Amino acid sequence: MSSQLILSNVVSRPMRSLATALAVGVEVALILLLVGLSTGMIRENSKRMSGVGADIVLQPPNSSLVLAASTGAMSVKIADLVSGIEGVKAVAPVYLQLNTSGGLGLVWGIDQESFNGITQGFVYREGRGFQGPDDVIVDDIYADARELRLGEEITLMNRSFRIAGIVEHGKGSRLFIPLGTMQRLVGTPGQATMMMIKCHDKSDIPGVKAELEGRLKSYPIFDMSSFAAHLEEANRDFGPIKFFTRTVVFIATLIGFFIIFLSMYTAITERTHEIGILKSLGAPQGYISLLFLKEALVLGGLGFVLGLGLTFGGRFFFQLLMPTLQHQLPPEWLLYTGILALFSASLGALYPALRAARQDPIEALAYE
Amino acid sequence: MKTILESIALTKIFKTGKIEVTAVRDVSLKVPEGEFIAIMGPSGCGKSTLLHLLGGLATPTSGRVLVDGEEISSGKDAVRTDIRRRKIGFVFQRFNLLPTLSAQGNLEIAQEIHRNGSRDRQHVDEILNLLGLEKKTHHKPSELSGGEQQRLAIARAVINRPAILLADEPTGNLDTRNSMVVLKMIQELNRALSQTILMITHNPEAAGIANRLIEMRDGRIVSQQQEGEWNAAEDRMSL
Ligand SMILES: Nc1ncnc2c1ncn2[C@@H]1O[C@H](COP(=O)(O)OP(=O)(O)O)[C@@H](O)[C@H]1O
Ligand SMILES: [Mg+2]
Repeated sequence: MSSQLILSNVVSRPMRSLATALAVGVEVALILLLVGLSTGMIRENSKRMSGVGADIVLQPPNSSLVLAASTGAMSVKIADLVSGIEGVKAVAPVYLQLNTSGGLGLVWGIDQESFNGITQGFVYREGRGFQGPDDVIVDDIYADARELRLGEEITLMNRSFRIAGIVEHGKGSRLFIPLGTMQRLVGTPGQATMMMIKCHDKSDIPGVKAELEGRLKSYPIFDMSSFAAHLEEANRDFGPIKFFTRTVVFIATLIGFFIIFLSMYTAITERTHEIGILKSLGAPQGYISLLFLKEALVLGGLGFVLGLGLTFGGRFFFQLLMPTLQHQLPPEWLLYTGILALFSASLGALYPALRAARQDPIEALAYE
Repeated sequence: MKTILESIALTKIFKTGKIEVTAVRDVSLKVPEGEFIAIMGPSGCGKSTLLHLLGGLATPTSGRVLVDGEEISSGKDAVRTDIRRRKIGFVFQRFNLLPTLSAQGNLEIAQEIHRNGSRDRQHVDEILNLLGLEKKTHHKPSELSGGEQQRLAIARAVINRPAILLADEPTGNLDTRNSMVVLKMIQELNRALSQTILMITHNPEAAGIANRLIEMRDGRIVSQQQEGEWNAAEDRMSL
């Protein structure tokens, strides 16, 4: 019966209930969209890394798994050392650099021949490989999103490049320039930030890795599957991203809290007389508090469902607007946001509910 | 007969700023089980305050109230609420129904509060029949007439078979015809179900159906008459 009272109270003020639930829904959607986007980006990054086709990745000493923030470099001559190891089929030095002109992303400097040895070559939708030092290869997603054509000039790292080829996405980066050009641009001739290594056979991988570990002591060495997993983890734990996510979660929860607080606070004032009636019937304080807490939970739950709708709507909208953005929702976050919505709802309702329960029955009954 | 309700030297003083109003002064009263008492007196003489004290909605400045042997005048809200829940049914001049619930819902919530959650549809139907509301079970209070609303409020007050029914001017908001119907039902509850009743009223005819008439002035009981001692009123009563 009290459940009927709770529902009828929710229904009797439809706009108030809807607005409250919607605010909780925005809280949920804000968190889910942010987490979905950052997860999508991180997963997509590591997937592209695996897509290169390397078996082993070698990083210079003092490098970071957050590749955009990594500053370590090593001589490309190490490639010769690596290729001498038994079981190694191909080695490709790569220089990664963060590009900030026209969007944020990593540009890979590659030596096309050695890189092809790892990837089995790009699949060209249009054009072909580098013809000159100012050429750039872009992937189809990058090209489509910006409506780029073959031969068109684009600016990367404050310098103009000509699009020599448009390739299928999935092999490391969305943007490739010649390794030599990159080294000159950055001012690090003869250096690379990463070596991609391919073995003759999967069974060679442990042996090659062990050999490398023996020879290059302070160099981080990974087989590809663990490298991809480490990348994901490192990006997720990357300070600024983590801090940003936490801030948004906190603020969103705070919004939910205040909205429920306001809504329930207004409700108890509006329902003072009804509280008096319940008291005259002998309803204990706990019963009255629970009535309001449960109502807040209903609104929070409703808000969560609305939030899911907003998330999927928002996702659709993002995909229309920015097709390069990948959105991937870790299922556990559905649980987290559900708990957060209910948590902020009950926390917001706590004070109003306790206040309602402590009303003086005579004063409440006299309330018009 | 067993005393179901007793007040001992009950006094209630309201303080608003420097002004003190003694609403109830040294009221001692014994109500045997099954008795129907009418309380009369001019406005502001302390009738409602007395009823609130008897039902544990307020605490006295001094004195005690015992309901079925339990002290309801103690300071603790939880204790008063608990005794009220188990022993007392209230009927007010404003019907005080929950506006968002149906007639049936209003009765069921009283049952739920009384029994910590359980409800009994059959008993609800019985009471609704007794009070002539069986066709209105799904109506909201706003869809009922004043008379029907008050009958529903009475049904709610007695649904849990309380030891005492406390009614504060139950016909105060009703026209003569509806007043008659409601009074008849209150009388029926007393006669048929031996419901102990304390009813405040302004209407001498309403008082006529009681076993005892108590007159209050300025917070005190000034006279008490047993049934038959106020024939004039009873003669005019034709329920
Ligand atoms: N909450 C209150 N605060 C101050 N004075 C009150 C309060 N309630 C009642 N009174 C005063 O107590 C007296 C008795 O009131 P009440 O019991 O309502 O009388 P009745 O029901 O007989 O009309 C009145 O003078 C009234 O003004
Ligand atoms: Mg009064």
